[in-house]
Amino acid sequence: MLKKASFLIIFAAIWLTSCTKDPVNDLTDLDSQVFITNFDKSVNFKQFKTFSIADSVIVVQDDRSGTALTDLDRQMLSSVIAKMQSQGYTCVAASNKPDVGITIARITNTYLNVASTPYSSYYGGFYGGYGYGYPSYYSYYETSESYWSVSMLDLKNANATTKTLNVIWNAQIRGSGLANTDYFSEMINSVFDQSAYLKIN
Amino acid sequence: MKKLIIAAFLLAGFAPAFAQEQAPKLYTLPSPYDRYTTYLVTARLTGAVPIGSFKNDYIDKASFENYSISLEWVLQNSFSIGGEIGYSYFKQRLPRALYTSGDQTISAIQTRTVSQYPIQAFVNYHFLPKSSAIQPYVQLSAGGSILDYTVYYGSLADQRQKIRPTYGVGVGSKFLFKKDGSFGADVRVKYAATSFKYDYLTSGISSLNTSIGLFYRWW
Repeated sequence: MLKKASFLIIFAAIWLTSCTKDPVNDLTDLDSQVFITNFDKSVNFKQFKTFSIADSVIVVQDDRSGTALTDLDRQMLSSVIAKMQSQGYTCVAASNKPDVGITIARITNTYLNVASTPYSSYYGGFYGGYGYGYPSYYSYYETSESYWSVSMLDLKNANATTKTLNVIWNAQIRGSGLANTDYFSEMINSVFDQSAYLKIN
Repeated sequence: MKKLIIAAFLLAGFAPAFAQEQAPKLYTLPSPYDRYTTYLVTARLTGAVPIGSFKNDYIDKASFENYSISLEWVLQNSFSIGGEIGYSYFKQRLPRALYTSGDQTISAIQTRTVSQYPIQAFVNYHFLPKSSAIQPYVQLSAGGSILDYTVYYGSLADQRQKIRPTYGVGVGSKFLFKKDGSFGADVRVKYAATSFKYDYLTSGISSLNTSIGLFYRWW
């Protein structure tokens, strides 16, 4: 009878752990999007008047990078230019000594992930630093993520001695539907609007 | 020889009568559930309401995605001991909002989740005898919970998985469908708490759980 009972418990355990869920699979593309912005707090953006933008998009895929100018990239560039102008900046050619420079990048990262069944360190510590000997509890899966990254560089106060340009603002647009041009103006509006300090007019 | 045959006939006549007289006494014996240590298995569906800082800081939405199965040994005294394995899942979605920390601002729709697989040992104390159709009890339980805390920012996840201690205090009652029967219902209200600290959770996960269950007992 005891045997039957313990079988029941094991069966229940397998049944209960076999289901995994994805709580965000019901999000629409727009709802899944995440806008992350960072800025240099020491910078007063009011000192800038003009900007220029790189005429192509940087494409970063894992360790490789290059530039591209597809229709998608053109749309993104023009969305950013329009938003910068509405914020009070004047677009000038790179040769006309702009105050800030804008670069846009498409970044795709592929990760190899290792998932492990979690064990607390309690038992390992209990037996004097023993680890767990169950390598079959690990599983591997690959994920790939693409996102847009928009950066603002301080060209006005370039450090001449160290030859560096400071990134004073960066925005990452992540989530689903990032190649849908219908969303571009809304995406760009979002990252600028949550960075109120960028507005100079 | 004749006498023996007569005696045999007489016996044959008497023996059934004797047996018939004994028969009623068989049924007056206490039920096997009173006489032996018996087994009882219960499957429960639970509605859980977050309480305390778990409710205030993280999720305040009730959850009905909680299940458990328990096996217990009903001892000959008022106690029973056993084990329970369960699954519980809390989820809450927040509208798009800005989350600022330092120089960074994140705009996202947050989906907050906690799932747990608690594995616990428990002791029940029953107030009424096993022959009673209604058997109220109090319960103390303790064990470990395989815990997954995930906050989604849009489709990006901040996840933490741990095994943490968990415990519970409950009151409940068993209701037998039939006197001395094998099947019955179980109703339980239980306070459950798991110790866990990370990000939004500063003092653990606690909830008030009301469950209805079905049990089967055998010996």
